[in-house]
Amino acid sequence: MRYLSPIFIAEVICFIVAIAIIWKDKNAFGKVITCYLAIALVTEEAAAYLGIRGIHNLWLFNIYIIFEISAILYGLYHCIKKYVNPKPIFLIGLGTIILTYIFFLFTQSFSQLNTVTITVMSVIFTLFCLYYYYLLVTDENFIEIRIHPEFWWVTGVLFYYFGSTMSNLFDGLFTVKLIGFATLKYCIYIILNLILYSCWLYSFICTMKQRKLHS
Amino acid sequence: MHNETTKIAFLVAIATMVFLLVPVFLILYIRSYNRHKKNHFLEKQNMQQKFESEMLQTRVEVQDQTMQSIATELHDNVGQLLSLTTLTLNSVNLNDGEKAKKKIDNSLALVNKSIKELRELAKLLHGEQLVENGIGHAIDQEINWLNKAGTYELKVNNQLVYLQITSPDKDLIILRLLQEIINNIIKHAQAKQIHIDTYLEKNVLHLKVTENGIGFDPNEMKIKKSGMGLNSIYKRIEMINGKLVLNSAPGEGTSISIEIPYP
Repeated sequence: MRYLSPIFIAEVICFIVAIAIIWKDKNAFGKVITCYLAIALVTEEAAAYLGIRGIHNLWLFNIYIIFEISAILYGLYHCIKKYVNPKPIFLIGLGTIILTYIFFLFTQSFSQLNTVTITVMSVIFTLFCLYYYYLLVTDENFIEIRIHPEFWWVTGVLFYYFGSTMSNLFDGLFTVKLIGFATLKYCIYIILNLILYSCWLYSFICTMKQRKLHS
Repeated sequence: MHNETTKIAFLVAIATMVFLLVPVFLILYIRSYNRHKKNHFLEKQNMQQKFESEMLQTRVEVQDQTMQSIATELHDNVGQLLSLTTLTLNSVNLNDGEKAKKKIDNSLALVNKSIKELRELAKLLHGEQLVENGIGHAIDQEINWLNKAGTYELKVNNQLVYLQITSPDKDLIILRLLQEIINNIIKHAQAKQIHIDTYLEKNVLHLKVTENGIGFDPNEMKIKKSGMGLNSIYKRIEMINGKLVLNSAPGEGTSISIEIPYP
């Protein structure tokens, strides 16, 4: 049962739809996000496998966040570059995250969850999402938000990383079990993941709709 | 301790809910803003289409006016000259050498005059190119044409001839406005004198036409909405953000003053 968590099911659906729709995209965005979803799936299941056998699995998430940082940053870069040249701010953002990660490597054990980097990256991702919204609003052209893939992709990212801020900040301080083995933090992450993957799923459907419109 | 953890958990749960609500409101705001932007964009597009259609109509009207002038000129002037030439040549008696020479000379003079008139007409046919040369030249051409009729005593102060800047769309509309005003004067005013004054001051083009005709009651005209083409004049001026001041009273002539931001 723990192998088939709601997060895993949402990831599988999103991954299948990603392969069917955005993998064929000419730009690298589709391939990067599909690969990231595959990595997320494998990590989720590997972590569940280790967890069931009582083996420490936090190191796995520390490796996983490297892929997470790369994929989400690339996705945001892809969305923002349509309005401005975002290279300078992305280099600053990436530099800050890398420094935080290095700081973690030197100060803490790799078997502990890298919460500092997760918190810093959440803040940076949130800022980039808000910057995207700002560019969207100030742009002189209007977009059909209802069917705009990038908008819904960024919205998913914003929900997930902004919503997880409190959990990141108070990590380890509220280990309250709600149902069986599921802690409050786990429940929050289930909700956040469901929102994230729903938005991404919708974003992929929008890509398909746009493709049909243009063909 | 356990109580403390529960409190923090409760706090985190509530805060997370609030943190999830913020993007929701953000999306609603962006959606509403985007809708306004869309409406504004469509309105702008609509106005642009209207402007283009009005420009097309103006162009057609300018061409119509040109064609009418040419038709009148061919009928009243060139046609008459050539008829007279035919009559003169028909009456040539080759036995009377001296008279024949005189008649042939007269005919030659008439043919030369016809050629000159035709050249003038050719210039008029290039009315649109005339606008491309600048609004000053186009107005000048229009005034020359009016002057040729000799019906009116004209006082002209056209300072736009040496204007260096142009605005093709506005130029065409201004020319059409002047044509419409002159048409109204010819058709309705029964004027003897026409005073035309054009100049550019602080990026505003001024066009003033004053005549001493029979005049009319502008309020009555507004109620009637019959026009004399006044509606289309007002509409076009509004389209290019211009201003029109009309002063007229029965028996006191009419004065029209137009101000248009230029270029």
